[in-house]
Amino acid sequence: MRIQAQRFALALAIILGYFSTAAAQTKQPPAAPAAAPSFDPHDLSGVWFDDHPRLITVQQRYWAYTFTLDAPPMTAWGQEKFSAAKPSFGPHAIPLAESNDPLYHTCSPIGFPLIYLYPLPLQIVQTPGEVIMLFEWDSLRHQIFIDGRKHDETLGPLWMGDSIGHWDGDTLVTDTVNLNDKTWLDRMGHPHSEQLHVIERIRRVDHDHLVDDLTIEDPKAYTKPWTARLPYVLKPKWTIAEQFCEDVRSFQDIDQDAAAPAK
Amino acid sequence: MRRVSFCVALAFTLAWSFSASLSAQTKKPSEKSKAASSFDPHDLSGVWYDDHPRPNKVDERYWIYKFTQGEPPMTPWGQAQFDASKSSFGPAAVPLKDTNDPIYHTCTPPGFPRVLLHPFPFQIIQSPTEVIFLFEYDSMLHQIHIDGRKHDESLGPLWMGDSIGHWEGDTLVTDTVNFNEKTWVDRMGHPHSDQLHVIEHIRRVDHDHLEDDITVDDPKAYTKPWTGHMTYALYPKWTLGEYFCEDQSDFDEIENNETKPMK
Repeated sequence: MRIQAQRFALALAIILGYFSTAAAQTKQPPAAPAAAPSFDPHDLSGVWFDDHPRLITVQQRYWAYTFTLDAPPMTAWGQEKFSAAKPSFGPHAIPLAESNDPLYHTCSPIGFPLIYLYPLPLQIVQTPGEVIMLFEWDSLRHQIFIDGRKHDETLGPLWMGDSIGHWDGDTLVTDTVNLNDKTWLDRMGHPHSEQLHVIERIRRVDHDHLVDDLTIEDPKAYTKPWTARLPYVLKPKWTIAEQFCEDVRSFQDIDQDAAAPAK
Repeated sequence: MRRVSFCVALAFTLAWSFSASLSAQTKKPSEKSKAASSFDPHDLSGVWYDDHPRPNKVDERYWIYKFTQGEPPMTPWGQAQFDASKSSFGPAAVPLKDTNDPIYHTCTPPGFPRVLLHPFPFQIIQSPTEVIFLFEYDSMLHQIHIDGRKHDESLGPLWMGDSIGHWEGDTLVTDTVNFNEKTWVDRMGHPHSDQLHVIEHIRRVDHDHLEDDITVDDPKAYTKPWTGHMTYALYPKWTLGEYFCEDQSDFDEIENNETKPMK
C-alpha cells in the first residue's frame, strides 16, 4: 500500500505543480467545462484499481474481504465448510496466527476470483485473441481467450481456472471453469468446490471506469447462482509493481514462530 | 552462428522431433518445403520455448542451469558467493535436500534473468508501449516499457528488476536494473549483487525463431560483462499452463521435514 500512497502523493504533487518539470506537463485550466473524453468500449487496456467509495469504518468496507453483503445461499456442504473456516477478515475475524486460511503459511497462488479482493491494481493488456489481466499480487494472470476456443478439461484443476470469452456488443462476457478447490472463495471463508463456474460481464462504462459483474455458480456449495459487482477506475500514471506473498512480513513471522519458537 | 539458413534450421527441427508429445506440435512434412513464412520482425508475440538441440547427456545441457558453457569471470566477492552456493544443478550438484538454492524451501521468485533458464515456455504479448514476457514458471512477469521512460529508482529493489527498452532496427534492446540480492543469477549458484545490470538483444530471426542475447554486467560480482545466447522456437498451438513452486511435491517434503517434524 506504501507504493500506492507514493503514487497518489506523486500525482497530487504534479497536479499542484510542486515539481518544476511536472509544471510544464499540467494542462492549462480549461476555459469551459470539457466534454467527456472519448473512448473505445472494446479497449479495456490500462492499469485499473478498485473504485469502491472509501467509507470510514473497516466493517463497511466489505469488498476488502467478500464479494457481496447479502450472504450467498449455501448448501449443507457449503455451510459446513464455512463453519469450519477461521478467517482473519470480516465480522468473525480471529488473529492471523490462529487462521486456517489455506493461503497463509504456504504462499500458494491465491486463485480466482479471490484475486479480485486483494486491494492492489491490475493491468489489462489485449491481443487479437486474448484479454489478459495482470495482477500486481504475485504477478498472477487471468488469461481470457476470445479466439473461439472451448474449455480444455485436460488442463486439470487450475488455481486461476481456464477462461474463455466473447464480446456481446460492448460487454466482454467471460466464462471460467476448471478451478481447483484449494482456496477459499473470499477472504472470510466462504467456500467453493471444483464445480465453481464464474461468469463475468466486463464493461468499460466511460473513459475512466470499468465494471465487472461477477456471477458465481457452484451447485455443490451454493443453492443458486449469485452476483456481485466490482467497480474499477483507470490509473493512467500507474504501472503495476511487485508484491509477492513471500515478502509479506506477517506471513513469514508466523511461519518462523510456528517452526522455531525458541529462535 | 547457428542460424545460417532457414532450411538448416528446419532440418534440425525434423531430426529433433522424436518426442510423441512434441510431434503433434511440430510442422507437418508438407509444410517444410514451403518458402520461408513471411513475418514482421517487430512482432515478437506468441508462445516460445527453448530451442537448443537435445543432446543425450544431461551434463551437456548447460542451458537449463547456466547461460554460458564456460565459467563467467568472477571477482573475489563473486567467487566467494559462488563457493558458498550448494546447487542441485550442474557438475557440482548436491541432492535437493542439501541445497541452499534460495528458491527451494521458500518458493521465492526465481528472479531475472534466472527464470529464462527454467525449461518452461513463455508468451510474449505486446502493446504500443510495452513488450511483456509471461512465464509459465511461477507466473513470472518481465515487463519491458518501450515508451521512452527512464528507470525508476523509487520502485525499490525488485525480484524481476525494472526494465526499459527500445528498438534498434529489428532488434529489441532492453535494459534492466534495480534488482534485489535475494536470487542467484542462474540455477548453478553464480551470484549477482544489487548492481546487476542486464542488457538483452532480442531478435526474431525468422517466423519460428527468436534469439535473446543476455549480457550480465555486475562489477561487484564479475570482472567484466559476459553474454549468454538463448534461442527459442515458436509453438503456435501451445498456451501457457500453470507451474507453481508450491505445488511441487519434493519441495513439500523438504518443507515439512524441516519445519514440522512431528506432523
